Amino acid sequence: MFGLEFDQIFFVLIAAVTLGFSVLVVTMRNLFHAALALMVAFLGVAVTYVTLGAGFLAMAQLLVYIGAISILIIFGIMMTRRIMSAEEEPFNGQAGLAAFTAVIFFAFTTYVFINYWPAVPAVSPLAMAPEVDPAMIDNSVVLLGQAFVNPNAYVLPFEVASVMLLAALVGSVFIAKPRIQEAEA
Amino acid sequence: MDFQPPIINLLIVAPLLITMGAGLFLMLLNIFCKRDGVYYWLTLAAIAAALVQNVAMWGHEYGTFIARGSYPMVVSDNFSVFLNSILLLSGIGTLLISRNYLHRTKLERPEFYMLMLFSLSGMMMMGMANDLILVFVALELLSIPLYIMAGLAVSRDDSKESAMKYFLLGAFSSGIFVYGIALIYGATGATALPAVYAVLEAGSPLAMAGTAFLMVGFAFKIGAVPFHMWTPDVYEGAPTVVTAFMSVGAKVAGFAALLRVFTVALPAMSDAWMGALALIAALTLIIGNVVALMQTNIKRMLGYSSIAHAGYLLIGVAAAGQHSEAVGSVLLYMLAYLFTTMGAFGVVIALEHKLGEGIMLEDYKGLAKRNPWLSAAMLVFMLSLTGVPPTGGFSGKFYIFRSAVEANLWWLAIIAIMTSVVSGYYYLRVVFYMYMFDGDRTEPVYAGTALKTGLLIALVGTLWLGFFPAGWFELAYKAVIGTTQLLAGG
Repeated sequence: MFGLEFDQIFFVLIAAVTLGFSVLVVTMRNLFHAALALMVAFLGVAVTYVTLGAGFLAMAQLLVYIGAISILIIFGIMMTRRIMSAEEEPFNGQAGLAAFTAVIFFAFTTYVFINYWPAVPAVSPLAMAPEVDPAMIDNSVVLLGQAFVNPNAYVLPFEVASVMLLAALVGSVFIAKPRIQEAEA
Repeated sequence: MDFQPPIINLLIVAPLLITMGAGLFLMLLNIFCKRDGVYYWLTLAAIAAALVQNVAMWGHEYGTFIARGSYPMVVSDNFSVFLNSILLLSGIGTLLISRNYLHRTKLERPEFYMLMLFSLSGMMMMGMANDLILVFVALELLSIPLYIMAGLAVSRDDSKESAMKYFLLGAFSSGIFVYGIALIYGATGATALPAVYAVLEAGSPLAMAGTAFLMVGFAFKIGAVPFHMWTPDVYEGAPTVVTAFMSVGAKVAGFAALLRVFTVALPAMSDAWMGALALIAALTLIIGNVVALMQTNIKRMLGYSSIAHAGYLLIGVAAAGQHSEAVGSVLLYMLAYLFTTMGAFGVVIALEHKLGEGIMLEDYKGLAKRNPWLSAAMLVFMLSLTGVPPTGGFSGKFYIFRSAVEANLWWLAIIAIMTSVVSGYYYLRVVFYMYMFDGDRTEPVYAGTALKTGLLIALVGTLWLGFFPAGWFELAYKAVIGTTQLLAGG
C-alpha cells in the first residue's frame, strides 16, 4: 500500500493515535476526561517503544506512567471535587503566539534531525566497563541494571536522583500538610 | 568470576557527603526533636564543616572518584573548590541573616533547613559534575528544593505565586536542557564532558542545536535576558532569606556548570557560543539595568539588579576564548557578588519587620538617623553593586572589563561601562533616601546578633576585595588553570 512497509503503516497509525489524544489532553474542557486521554497518549508512546525494540522502556512506561502517574492524577482529580465537575477554558489569549513558537521550533528541530541525525554511532556507556560479560550484551535489562550500580557508569547520578526525589517528597508533604496554627491566626 | 569491590574515593565528594548527610540526619531528627534552634545550629555546623573540608582540599590532587574508568562522573579540582567555597559561604550567610527573620515571621520550620542543605548539595555538584547527565541531576537537585522554599510562606498569595511561577518555568527550561543533552549525545555519542570534547568537530549542526538548548537552560538559571521573566516576580514573592539564597547560590551554581560545560566540553563550538553569549550579555545588561530604574520595591529592584549582574558575569564567559584570565575574573566577580548581595539582602531583612512590609524604597527614608551603622553598611553595599572603588564590586568589574577589552570585545565593554553608570542612579537612590530624608519612624530597627555578624562578614569581605583584589584574583586564576580546555589549548 503506497509502497509502505507494514511497520511504517503501524508507526503512522500509532503516531496518529498518540498525537490525537495528546491534542485532546490540552483541548478538553473537563479535566477528568483530559486525564483519561493522557493515559491513551502514554500507551501510544509505550507501543512506539515496543516497535523500536526497547522492551524494558515500554514496560517502564506502562508501569510508571500509566500504572502510577495517571492513576495518581485521576485520584487527585477525584479527591478535589470542585475540579472534577469544573469546565475549564483551556485557551488563553496567547494561543496564537504559542502556536507560532511551536511551529518554528518544530521546523527547526525537524530540519536538524532529517539532515544530520545521527552524527556518530552511539557508544554504550558500558563499553568503558571491562567487567561486563559479552554474553550479556543482548540483554538490555541486565545491562541497564548494571549501568545504574556500576561506579564506572551511573551509580552517582542514580544515587543523587534518589536524594532529589526525597527532597521533592519532603517538599510536597510540607506544602500539602494542614497548618493548624496559621488557620487559627 | 572473582568479584573485586570497586575502589571508590569518597574524599572527592566529602563536602557533598557532609551537606547531604546532614540533610538526611535532620529528617530523622525531625521525629524526635521539635525545637527549631537545634536545626539551625546543626545546619550551620554542617555547612561550616563542609566549608573547612572543602578549603582543605584546595591544591590537592585526589585523583578520580573511582580508580578505573576513563571519564569520571565528578571531579574535584581547584575550580570546584573555589566555587564550592562561595556556595557554602552563601549558605552560611543565608543562615546568619535568616535567624531572626524566620522567628519574627513565624516561618521557621525544620523543612527549611533540610531543603536548604539538599539544594546546597545540588549547587556544589553543578561545579563538580563532569558528565552532562550528572549536571542535569544536580540542576534538579538544586532547583526542586528552591521551588518549595520560594513557597515557604504557604499562607501568602505572593509566596505561592512565586513558587508556582518558578516551578513551571523551571520545569520547562529543564526540559529544554535535557533536549540539549540528547542532541549533544546524538552528535558525539557521549555525555562525559572530556569525551564530548574529544569527539566533537567544529560546525556540527546537531551539536550546535544542542549547545543552543543547553544555553537556554543555563540562561534561565542565571536569569539572563531573554529568559529572565521569572526573576522579579519570584524574588519579590519569596521570603527574603530565600531570595538572598537564590540570588547568590543558584546564580553561582548556574555559572559554575556553564563555565565547566562550555569550556571543557564545547571549545569546538566556541565561535558560535561566544558570539551568542556576548549578545545575551549585552541584552541582559541593558534590560536589567534600565528596568531596575523604575522599581520602587527594593526586592524587585535587587531582582533586576541580579539580572544585570548576570550580564557582567556573562561578559567574562564570552571573553573566555580570547583571554586566558577571563574565567578567573568571573570567579573573582562572583566572590565580590556573594559578599555584596548577601549584605544588601541582610539590610533588607533587618528592615522587613513583618512579612512583606518595610520593603519599599519609601521605608528607607531617614534610616541614617535611626540606624547609622546599618545605613553605613548599606552605603558600602550599594557602592559595591554600582562598582565604585574601593569596594569588591569595583575590583570584580575592573577585571571583567579588562578581559573584555583584551578579548577585543570593545563594544561590550563600552555597553557595560555605560550601564554601570546608569545603575548608579537606582543604587544610590537608596543611599539618597537613607541620608537625605526624614522618615516617619525614629526608633531603630532591631537586627539581632546573627544578622549583625553576617553583615560584618559581608562588609569585611566587600572592603577586603576592594582594597586588596590582586591576591584574590591570583587565587581565582589559579583555580581555573588545569580545568578548562580553552586555556589548555592556548
